[in-house]
Amino acid sequence: MSLFTSRPALRWLVPSAVAVAVIGGGAALGTVAASAEPELPDRSAAQLLVDLQNASLDGLSGTVRTTSDLGLPSLPAGAGAGGAGIGSLLSGSHQVRVWYAGEDKQRVALIGTVGESDIIRNGKDVWTWDSKTQTATHRELGDGEAAKPERQLPGSLTPQEAAEQALKAVDPTTVVEVGRNARVAGRSAYELVLKPKDTASLIGSVKVAVDATEHVPLRVLVYGKGADEPAFRAEFTQVDFSRPDDAQFTFTPPPGTTVTEEATPSAEERAQAEADAKEHAAQAKSESKVVGTGWTTVVVIKQPAKQPSAEKPEDGRGRGGQDPADIVSALPQVSGDWGSGRLLKGKLFSAVVADDGRIAFGAVAPEKLYEALRG
Amino acid sequence: MSVREATPYVPKPVSTRFLRSELMLIFGRRRNWAGMAALAAIPIIIAVVMKLWPGGGGGPDFFNQIANNGLFVSLAALTAELPLFLPLAVAAIAGDSVAGEANTGTLRYLLAVPVDRTRLLAVKYLGVVIFAFAAVALVAATGMLIGLLLFGGGDVLLLSGSMVGFGEGVLRVLGVVLYLGVCLSALGAIGVFVSTLTEQPIGATIAIMVLTVLSFILDQIEQLDWLQPYLLTHHWMDYGEFLRDPVDLGALVPGLLVAAAYTGVFLAGAWARFAGKDVSS
Repeated sequence: MSLFTSRPALRWLVPSAVAVAVIGGGAALGTVAASAEPELPDRSAAQLLVDLQNASLDGLSGTVRTTSDLGLPSLPAGAGAGGAGIGSLLSGSHQVRVWYAGEDKQRVALIGTVGESDIIRNGKDVWTWDSKTQTATHRELGDGEAAKPERQLPGSLTPQEAAEQALKAVDPTTVVEVGRNARVAGRSAYELVLKPKDTASLIGSVKVAVDATEHVPLRVLVYGKGADEPAFRAEFTQVDFSRPDDAQFTFTPPPGTTVTEEATPSAEERAQAEADAKEHAAQAKSESKVVGTGWTTVVVIKQPAKQPSAEKPEDGRGRGGQDPADIVSALPQVSGDWGSGRLLKGKLFSAVVADDGRIAFGAVAPEKLYEALRG
Repeated sequence: MSVREATPYVPKPVSTRFLRSELMLIFGRRRNWAGMAALAAIPIIIAVVMKLWPGGGGGPDFFNQIANNGLFVSLAALTAELPLFLPLAVAAIAGDSVAGEANTGTLRYLLAVPVDRTRLLAVKYLGVVIFAFAAVALVAATGMLIGLLLFGGGDVLLLSGSMVGFGEGVLRVLGVVLYLGVCLSALGAIGVFVSTLTEQPIGATIAIMVLTVLSFILDQIEQLDWLQPYLLTHHWMDYGEFLRDPVDLGALVPGLLVAAAYTGVFLAGAWARFAGKDVSS
């Protein structure tokens, strides 16, 4: 203290030291967490792939953070302030809480600042809940459907589903390697690195961190070609492998809530719908074509002849509802010997909406799309 | 045989007299009453307007819930006052804490009594912290009272779509109050630091508000997303966590850490500045 009395200027060392400790401490924690490479027994890429497929999960609850930086132009999309709409996942950073207790008990909650959107599956009941609008929808799954995992879940963004998608792509077109071990959500994990062999793909690599004991994906990173920072990441920030309480999956619509009951299709209706879908698919197939294989697949769809806009539903431009034509016309115009249209270019994929109604998209540079459109 | 030594005389642990006099200053001034009346007016206005002209859905957060349960007047008012009114109230008190005394010339008399400057600063900051918690509690309590009066209570609907009893609802609002109290106390620490820099309390208050608004603006700029988790105001809205089912207290940790970091740095700064300062007025 006497030193501080004789030299008052030295007092400023104290707040400086606190500031350095706070900033340095925070940064050091971050670096240590990022660079810590847990010691794990060696496992080959193939073993890890099998581990992933054989993972049997009794239950799980946790928080997933998704961050997308797809490099898309800012579109006039109706992003609600502080909203927690499922559609808002495409850009920025989001928090999703997941609970899982088997195929028929799942809950996904997209966390907004002071809002929440939930999708809850409990047995045959599928509920959605939106706290902003205070609306719920309910659907009962038919017998045939109930066996299938619910595809409506925005689960393609949880590490599990995203990894499944990535692993489907594992075929002769992909190099699979084991990367550095990682720590995700405080757990040790192996990392699988998938790289396209075809260098024309916009995707540089996909890294999947696989939990060392539970064999479930904890983190998925998708890198654009030549990029050091992932364009998309989904990772558990906190995870617990104990089976969540059953109460977590019961949903009773609170009084005052608008509940939309979605009809359960009967067996005949479902058969009819399936037949329709098949017919539709066949029709679509004749109108669409696939160029290339694997990572550089380009899909060209021929849209049905433009309907007069009178068919647009009346509330098509109501709150949240965006006229797709508006979004398309905000995109930059491109033309070439293939015709002309609008280009949507991102870090991981690009798409062309041609003026003649064709749409081409794929994880490739626009030039490949033009090629496909020309062919 | 052991000889029990006589327990030495222990002076009164810490005298609360200084703190009491500080609290009298904060809560006894008529201008501060006016400020608190303004804070309490917002929930009353919200409740009366919602009663007279019950709107449809939409509106700011929690407004559409008020008609179902008066408890939501508290949350609606807190949400409405968080961007400006509550920080302004804390900024006014914190800005006044040291600079106000210097401005009216009472600071040197205060230091003439044998009081350690560090202790003086600690008492000043403690007063600001108590005011911050009191201001948030005042808004919440007024909202709760007027809400219950006009709309009644009942089970509380959470963001997750489940219902809890009224008692638990009140507890959750209490959690929100405590969390926001901590957040605003961190702002108070910046305020006390700024207040030691100047002899003009109004200048200090304006400077604190400028910093708060700057933090809110930076929080809106997409390109700065790497910086945003470290901004003072970034985590203030995290109090929504108390309205989920189940509550994950871990989600509040970043906000509390940021508040602790700001408090530590700026209190140390205030100490360095104030303990070595020439007090001439």
